Amino acid sequence: MTELALRLFKFPSIRTIRVSPLVPVALVPMFALAGFILVIVWVSFQTGVIGTAQAHYTLDNYRAVFADPLAYSSLLNTLVFASASTFFALAVGLPIAWLTERTTMGGKPIIYGIMTVGLLVPGIFVAMGWTFIAHPRIGFLNHWLISLFGLEEGPINIGTPIGMGFVQGLNLAPLAFIFTVQMFRAMNPLLEEAARIAGLSFTATLKRVTLPLATPGILAAGIYIFTVGIATFDIPAVLGLGNRVYLFSTYMFVQTFPQDYVPRYGITATIGTAMIGVALVLTYWYGQVLRRGDRYQVITGKGYRPKRIDTGRWAILCWTGIGFYAFIAKLLPVAMIAFVAFSPYVAPPSFNMLGQLSLGNFYRINWELVLRGLRNTVILMAVVPALVLCVSFCISWLVVRSRSRARYALEFGAFLPHTLPEVLFAIGALLLALFVLKGFVPLYDSVWLIAIVYIVVRMAFATRAMNGALLQVHRELEEAASVAGLSTLRTAWRVVLPLIRPTMLSVWIWTMLLVYREVTVAVFLTSQNSITLPAIVWSYWNAAGMTEASMVTLIMITLFSPLLVIFWRFGRQSGMASG
Amino acid sequence: MIRIRNLEKVFISSRGPVAAVQGIDLDVAGNEFVVLLGPSGCGKTTTLRCVAGLERPDRGTIEIAGETVDSASEGSYVPPDRRNIGMVFQSYAVWPHLSVYDNVAVPLIEGRYRVAKNLVGGRVREVLGLVRLEGLETRPVTDLSGGQQQRVALARAIVTRPRVLLMDEPLSNLDARLRDQMRLELKRITRTIGVTVLYVTHDQAEALSLGDRVCVMNEGKMLQVGQPQIVYAQPSSRFVAEFVGEMNFLKGKVVGPAEADSLLGRVRCPMPPGCQTGSDVTLAIRPENLSLARRPELNHPVVEGKVVTINYVGDATLFEVDAGGTQLRIKQPGVPVFSVGDAATIVLPQDFWHAYP
Repeated sequence: MTELALRLFKFPSIRTIRVSPLVPVALVPMFALAGFILVIVWVSFQTGVIGTAQAHYTLDNYRAVFADPLAYSSLLNTLVFASASTFFALAVGLPIAWLTERTTMGGKPIIYGIMTVGLLVPGIFVAMGWTFIAHPRIGFLNHWLISLFGLEEGPINIGTPIGMGFVQGLNLAPLAFIFTVQMFRAMNPLLEEAARIAGLSFTATLKRVTLPLATPGILAAGIYIFTVGIATFDIPAVLGLGNRVYLFSTYMFVQTFPQDYVPRYGITATIGTAMIGVALVLTYWYGQVLRRGDRYQVITGKGYRPKRIDTGRWAILCWTGIGFYAFIAKLLPVAMIAFVAFSPYVAPPSFNMLGQLSLGNFYRINWELVLRGLRNTVILMAVVPALVLCVSFCISWLVVRSRSRARYALEFGAFLPHTLPEVLFAIGALLLALFVLKGFVPLYDSVWLIAIVYIVVRMAFATRAMNGALLQVHRELEEAASVAGLSTLRTAWRVVLPLIRPTMLSVWIWTMLLVYREVTVAVFLTSQNSITLPAIVWSYWNAAGMTEASMVTLIMITLFSPLLVIFWRFGRQSGMASG
Repeated sequence: MIRIRNLEKVFISSRGPVAAVQGIDLDVAGNEFVVLLGPSGCGKTTTLRCVAGLERPDRGTIEIAGETVDSASEGSYVPPDRRNIGMVFQSYAVWPHLSVYDNVAVPLIEGRYRVAKNLVGGRVREVLGLVRLEGLETRPVTDLSGGQQQRVALARAIVTRPRVLLMDEPLSNLDARLRDQMRLELKRITRTIGVTVLYVTHDQAEALSLGDRVCVMNEGKMLQVGQPQIVYAQPSSRFVAEFVGEMNFLKGKVVGPAEADSLLGRVRCPMPPGCQTGSDVTLAIRPENLSLARRPELNHPVVEGKVVTINYVGDATLFEVDAGGTQLRIKQPGVPVFSVGDAATIVLPQDFWHAYP
């Protein structure tokens, strides 16, 4: 037997390896993913005319970054920002998750609704709203405090790393909620009951049993939100750039799109390489924590009803807290944007300002540009979800059904975009289009370049959702079709796809919604021709056109609402794990 | 109809390679019903899946109706959808999103062995009649009971009129009464349509009642192939003796060419080849071949014993009797005439003894 096994290990006969027709489709995004990462590392070692024979391979970019005091301050700012955002997101999301699943507090669907919509409101909108709320010069909160206490200047500055981390934390609290709510739902109440019977008080039980059991889930959420924070672009760009507070991502942005000198792609790539390193370490840690979480076996899989803690009159207080969160994180920022959208200039709300509201901005915005952006956005929304479904179905099917060990590599590749920041893929795609593909495929300045990045970024979530759905489809259902004489394609079409249709539908709508609101990749990759709606918002904002940016945002939100209703109607069933 | 030669299949598990099938040879004649019987993990299902084309053998060849569908040495392989076979799975594997009619009709409409559109309805109704599901055509298949779903699976498997029907423990998910009933139905249906059947089960009663021939497997090897009554009456090895039916085992010592001594006295039966006088053997006898009596019978050898437990199962009684330190199981028809603790005489038969090394 060992002899036979050895033979199999050493000389797999080529003829016996049957390549599934799905393999090429699954591999294309993997090659794109690898290309994005490798090109960043490759460019980081070049100076001179990058990507040509005149390029010099040196460590100059690294020396330049190490010598730049701004690089150190942006490193520090990034760490403070990511830590603050993790803290605030968990501080808000975790208690709400616990209240939702482990207490008798009513209105669960409303909380899920708030959190799902919360996931969809892009950070750039929230950041714009918070600029109008708490910017040292134009924030109404500061104006009120100045006039109330006769201060010299605004006491609150939202443009600091901690301030931005606060806004990011408010925006990502739904993510912390989604990550931990499932864990609380599945937690075995017997463990807590045993502690109570053993004589531990409520707080002692929480401290000794509930929290330690929940630690892997909380830690995983924390690491993930921290990783997102390392590379978030939109919030630091809106709140920090004007303040000259730089983070990794915004530092990269000013190196790539400087206003006074030529783009320094080498520096961008160097920062990107550092970011890849940090993100890979965090990804590894995240994977370890997830695995430990599995070992704790909080999830029992049996159908039982966890005993819930009676909130009694505290429910009112809890609901006030949740309402306050929804107000400051989503409602107030959006309301401020709406207010500014109709204002002639940015000023705190007052009766005087109310009289000046008009549709002036609506007529002032460049409609030719907005319609072009709308057209590009619609193209992306039509193409990307369909291709994401196609790619993730192929990957998932191979991961779930194949017995080849190559499936682990495929699974890992599909998982990477979940933790690697979007901004890296944007930079990678930009460099790839500029320095590698320029000669043969004119992808730069094309909406298709953005589409490719979106597909790679979105396939992580789609693949995970699809894995879950395919695991539910018993292998024998497919085998029965095959034995009954159906070809592989007919088996997929007639048996597999109808069975996973609900998941397909919700992944499709969810991907569409996220494509609609995506700003980071768009900002790095758009130019005149390939601009998208969110990128228009950013470019108005970046050119100090706050009122116009607000008007375009308002138009976006208006167009967005019907989509949200569709999502609510069809796609809600399968749990949306992450943005 | 099915010809398997030197079949080998190795799975790579996390703990290293596992040889699931280690050199199986089997011939199944046309319209024959052959049962692969063995404990879980013995390779019976792997063998069946190799025949279906759902697994690819590492060595050996498989022929169906004279056509080589698998040959590891030539690297030839015919995928399952081109083998013209039917298969019934343990989990039924009926397609939950389709109605009863559609489940059976899909192979005829979309499969490799499709028929003209105007014939589909007649063919589907014909097999649904055969499995006694008339009138349920429009029901969603998930509305049916487990037994009915299994009938849908069977109808789907035979609707294309395959040459070979493969069944992987099709009755194991049914309750005991339904299982007995379906056993008779399976026999009737396969006879009616005339099909070659390869059937996998771990239930020896099922194997004995269904098979024209039974093939006992263990650890990837075939131990005995034969008609059910031969396998039952003359198990070729100790494993077969133990796995098929109940068996008492006791130690013995060879004293002659066909004689051995045991705790129960001298036993006459053929000794395993290679055993010499004085070597140890295991003697075996089935519980129903022993009987209990109040008084010794003169023309039979007897042993005195004491009743330890009584297990009354309706049509028979199973006794456990202690005979000088050896526990013997004895099966007698009818109601028990002894009580626990009674002294009883065990009547030993002349024949029915087996000896294994």
